[in-house]
Amino acid sequence: MITLNQELDASQKEKILELKLRLLKLIRRSVYVYRVDCGGCNGCEIEIFAAITPLFDAERFGIKVVGSPRHADVIVFTGPMTRPMRVPAIRAYQAAPDPKVVVAYGACGCSGGIFHDSYGVWGGADSVFPVDLYIPGCPPTPCATIHGFAVALGLLHQKMKGEHYVEGEGAGVRLKFPEVPIGLRKEIEREARRLCGYWHGRQIANQYLEFLAEKDPQKVDKRVKELLKAEKDARLVEVFMKIHRIFLDSMERAAGSA
Amino acid sequence: MIKLLKKVLQVGEATLKYPFAPAEVAPGFRGKPVYNFEQCISCGACTLACPANAITLSCDLERGIRTWQLFYGRCIFCGRCEEVCPTEAITLSPEFELAAFKKEDLVCRADFRLNKCRFCDRFFTPAKELEYVLAVMVQAGLPEPEVANRRALLEVCPECRRKVEVEKMKKAVFTPLE
Repeated sequence: MITLNQELDASQKEKILELKLRLLKLIRRSVYVYRVDCGGCNGCEIEIFAAITPLFDAERFGIKVVGSPRHADVIVFTGPMTRPMRVPAIRAYQAAPDPKVVVAYGACGCSGGIFHDSYGVWGGADSVFPVDLYIPGCPPTPCATIHGFAVALGLLHQKMKGEHYVEGEGAGVRLKFPEVPIGLRKEIEREARRLCGYWHGRQIANQYLEFLAEKDPQKVDKRVKELLKAEKDARLVEVFMKIHRIFLDSMERAAGSA
Repeated sequence: MIKLLKKVLQVGEATLKYPFAPAEVAPGFRGKPVYNFEQCISCGACTLACPANAITLSCDLERGIRTWQLFYGRCIFCGRCEEVCPTEAITLSPEFELAAFKKEDLVCRADFRLNKCRFCDRFFTPAKELEYVLAVMVQAGLPEPEVANRRALLEVCPECRRKVEVEKMKKAVFTPLE
């Protein structure tokens, strides 16, 4: 396997880092960025070009996308490292003058992303190149792109931090709505999800289940009616009515069996 | 020229202030998945749902530890983990500033204790998940002795449970009726 991830000893690595930092300090002009698509879906390219439009305007910070690796200070690798693009990517890397900053862009560039176990994919850009900065995202939004480049150039600080939790004795999981019968809750959540999808459905179900915390059915009915009166969106009213019907039916059943 | 300047002044500045002012994201924006360790029962529903295998589970049966891991570098922010999570332990936040110099900073890891089987004394199920299942049974209105029965049943690994059942059946079949 051809790779540029050579085993360097600590002093060499330190020297390279020092050169890169000096480059960023002494550059005194725009930082030229060259971008290599190693076989991605072009989502990342679209977001990079969105980032240099007047709306986001990465060129404010002197970040300029250039057309040749020979001008580049920063090389951005997007897309998973596919087998046919490996050698062209290495040629682009070698054509860029040293010292250069290597950025792995997007989920695929960072690790292979959703294509990581495909037969033609070798992994992310770090499977071939020594990567300096990872910008995850699928694709990273223009704002994330600007933040990433600003971090690479030392203008902003990195926000991410590795997390490691270890389970101790004690506190268990907090149950959702312990005062609502579990069968009723399930029915309401399913209906809301069926009507509105998982994200809005969950919000609507949670909003409704909070009313149910008041045990008295008449109070619940009153609060739901108040909400429906204030609600302008007819679709939401319909969904709430359907969920409310489930609750009323369950109350009727309970009354019938008692 | 004057006309153009007038137009420019009218339109104003279109560029976002982003790094100097926080960027506004659309409602429902799917950014960094935020993990709530207290709520997680390590059931593994998210690992099955994750299309990019950004979330993985691994078991160390020697030490009795189950490790849940989320690698942000592989995440495609689809929200399937949020969809399937039974306890709302993982939610997608509007956070998008994920750039990092090292891969280690893109990893979120959690270690869970495993319970031992009552019969064979081997690790087999996470303690937190077991407690959650029993708590749900209590919430569903199961009487106290029945919950204790279920606990005795759930603290036996599937293999031992099978063996015990076979022993019971053997006894039932081969005991002569009086």
